[in-house]
Amino acid sequence: MEKRRELARSLQNGPGSSNNIIYLRERSITMLKRELILRNPLSIVKTEDKEPLKEGQFGAVLAKAGVGKTAFLVQLALSNLLRDRNVLHVSLTQPVRKVCLWYEEVFHNISQEYQIKNTTELWETILPHRFIMTFNKNDFSIDRFEERVNDLTEQGIFFPQLVIIDGLDFDEGSRESLTELKILAREMGFPVWFAITVGPDEVLKKGTLPSNVEPISDLFDILIGLKASKKEINILLLKGEPSKDEENVYLDPSTLLIKDRK
Amino acid sequence: MKKDPKKVRNIGISAHIDAGKTTLTERILYYTNRIHAIHDVKGKDGVGATMDFMELEKERGITITSAATYCEWNDHEINIIDTPGHVDFTIEVERALRVLDGGILVLCSVGGVQSQSITVDRQMARYNVPCIAFVNKCDRSGANPMKVVEQLREKLKHNAVAMQIPIGLENDFQGVVDLLKMKAIYFEGKQGEKVRIDEIPEELREEAEAKREELIDAASMFSDELMEAALEGEVTEELLIDAIRTGTLKRELTPVFMGSAYKNKGVQPLLDAITRYLPHPGEVENVALDLEKDEEKVVLESDPEKPLVSLAFKLEEGRYGQLTYIRVYQGTLRKGDFIVNSRTGKKVKVGRVVRMHANQMEDIEEIPAGYIGALFGIDCASGDTFTSPGIRYSMTSMHVPEPVISLAIVPEDNKSQQNMSKALSRFSKEDPTFRVKVDHETGDTIISGMGELHLEVYIERMRREYNAIVHTGAPQVAYRETITQKADFNYTHKKQTGGAGQYGRVAGYMEPFDGEFEFVNKIVGGAIPSEFISSVEKGFRSAMEKGQLLGFPVTGIRVVINDGQAHSVDSSDTAFQAAARGAFKEGFQKAKPAILEPIMKVAVETPSEFQGAVMGSLNQRRGMILGAQDEGDTCVIEAEVPLSEMFGYSTDLRSLTQGKAQFTMEFSCYRQVPQNISEELIKKAQEKKKKAA
Repeated sequence: MEKRRELARSLQNGPGSSNNIIYLRERSITMLKRELILRNPLSIVKTEDKEPLKEGQFGAVLAKAGVGKTAFLVQLALSNLLRDRNVLHVSLTQPVRKVCLWYEEVFHNISQEYQIKNTTELWETILPHRFIMTFNKNDFSIDRFEERVNDLTEQGIFFPQLVIIDGLDFDEGSRESLTELKILAREMGFPVWFAITVGPDEVLKKGTLPSNVEPISDLFDILIGLKASKKEINILLLKGEPSKDEENVYLDPSTLLIKDRK
Repeated sequence: MKKDPKKVRNIGISAHIDAGKTTLTERILYYTNRIHAIHDVKGKDGVGATMDFMELEKERGITITSAATYCEWNDHEINIIDTPGHVDFTIEVERALRVLDGGILVLCSVGGVQSQSITVDRQMARYNVPCIAFVNKCDRSGANPMKVVEQLREKLKHNAVAMQIPIGLENDFQGVVDLLKMKAIYFEGKQGEKVRIDEIPEELREEAEAKREELIDAASMFSDELMEAALEGEVTEELLIDAIRTGTLKRELTPVFMGSAYKNKGVQPLLDAITRYLPHPGEVENVALDLEKDEEKVVLESDPEKPLVSLAFKLEEGRYGQLTYIRVYQGTLRKGDFIVNSRTGKKVKVGRVVRMHANQMEDIEEIPAGYIGALFGIDCASGDTFTSPGIRYSMTSMHVPEPVISLAIVPEDNKSQQNMSKALSRFSKEDPTFRVKVDHETGDTIISGMGELHLEVYIERMRREYNAIVHTGAPQVAYRETITQKADFNYTHKKQTGGAGQYGRVAGYMEPFDGEFEFVNKIVGGAIPSEFISSVEKGFRSAMEKGQLLGFPVTGIRVVINDGQAHSVDSSDTAFQAAARGAFKEGFQKAKPAILEPIMKVAVETPSEFQGAVMGSLNQRRGMILGAQDEGDTCVIEAEVPLSEMFGYSTDLRSLTQGKAQFTMEFSCYRQVPQNISEELIKKAQEKKKKAA
């Protein structure tokens, strides 16, 4: 496994990333990337190094349908992509084209919001770090997923460093497959982020967890809730150690972008 | 010719290659008594389907040109445009869709919604064409029309609703249950021409009732009356038809019919559906641009008495001269009238007016608004608008993609040379994505198009129809050149020895630009006299036609001129053009030029077991895999791959997947070529240049 990871690193590191040299041509892109990474969606979580989740750990975004879980996860993915980390996005509800559209839309909104020009070049540098995989919900299983990921890694096509799973159903029966996935994630060396839909009657607040998440909450290291209020969508840290920025970030309901009150 | 536009339907039949649309058209023509015998696409009788009238089409079992034909059903006149299914010919599909009011999306009940169906569906959406779907080949093994309805919902996001359910499937496919009338329909007689209506078989009754409920639920979203009737349990056929029609016209509902054209089943109910649910010309809003009022949009009225506005959407060179297919949007096109080509301003007299039935024709006196017909002896290009004298409208321009692949062709002998010129001039007039040019350095004739098959078909047509035998070179990708950083230029063109002198100095800078080309004049104080500014721009434009790396056109450059110098006697248009060319050369070399290559969006459909192998093959071809869509037994892999790497991919894919996978590709964008490949390309270009010299 270590060998595989080493190969991944050597394959995925582009010019300039293996040491501290920044080539002149890449300077503008590097600056852009830095600027975007500063707006990391996970700034509400206190972390010791850059990554809030380690290999095999789980994080999840919880919200009712239509509040912005996918948009949040796509921003999380983008902030990783900008750091040249490989993101495998798995969707069980949307086709590849639709997932691509999410990324394009969020990226477009971010670049408009922060008036970033020359985005085509930046977009092209992050694309090779993203891989989208979609499954029919009923056909999805951890075995099948493992088989597909192996297809990618064995041929040196793609080595995920972060996995996002959108559209998985969570209930009491999920524990078994989640445990299986945890082992796989630890083995292959990536953390996993999920989108979890909570029931329409659930009220998200600190200190309590929705009924479908409660029984499996021990499998997760970070749980983030999105709660729509009148003017904005609040981001609540339901599990995990909060940072000093916790109160300052929210989701803009018109663009679904993460914003900072400061 | 009757003249009730409400009883006219202009429809197209679009589908994935081999979904059976030509067979379906053939059956429609048979049942509407336009033809008296059925010939199959790859038929044993050697006659071929009526719509596939080109020899080549008959041989390959594909439809290349969209032959227009008309037929009558239930007192309605139906004009059908048969469209090609292969992605290389999408310009034909797009052109056909431009003139249609409604479409039939033909899907294979085994293959379901395939990637080509997605392309075709996108095209229909672009031109806002309401459509109904027909799930064909229900007699094939593995047929599952209900799964296709599901796929229409999931993959194409159509609000698809089954109008029928099949009675038996595969070998046992007997007919359909009509959910509107709640009756079973069987197709009897040698060619399925006898429609027998019967009671629904007992074992299907429950399913039929459930599906009818679904249908009423979906349709009632478009009619309050139907919703009320449904609550009271008194749904009438008329209410249901009206609601489905409203939903279909809005493109918010897609009624799905099913059958097997090949086995002569389910075609007559589809014909009924065409007349019931698809719009007549008056229900479709068509917009033209008024060229006199700065291209202001004008909504056309489907009124035969108004001034004429019509669109020539297809040209064909036949035995009797050029045949121009035309759709009249407003007014009436009469034999003997004078009409104006709004692009050229030329006035022409209408000679023969005909109505087409595949390759046979019928002389008519006029084509009223909403109808499709053809004219003889009109010289024009496809896409031209013809109007009555006095107005200058143009139908909105069609989306014409740039060609991405070229091929050098050399005629075998003198006779072939002459015939080849004739053929090329006709093809380039007929098809805007097919271009011809002569390479001045090598003297080769270069043809360009949308894919390997696209060009291959034209080469074959040259041989068959024009008796022109040509040899082809290796396909050549249409590269582009650009710059990657800002650079200054300051160039003086001086020639003052003997005769009239030439003098001009041009200075400024060039920088990367998102569009094709921008020229900015920041000269102050008349350093370059204003009359020569356009000469400078012309010089830059001409220099950009051929880049210095490979000799391909240069794009993505903004040129700003801010200084220069002129001579009172020796400066001229020619001198400043030459100075600009020199300045361009100087700046281009300093601006870190790069080569761009066309990138294709490739979608491969493969059984799941070959997913890894297919991904590997795309990866080897410098492809960037965007994603993999797992669909149970099959999966679709979407990738972006440089066109230069896609030659011969179909052969490789076949051997890799035991012929079980297929792929489609379309142009996506231009992207910079990696350094090592770019160096190789430059080296090759230099060698070629040396050889030519």
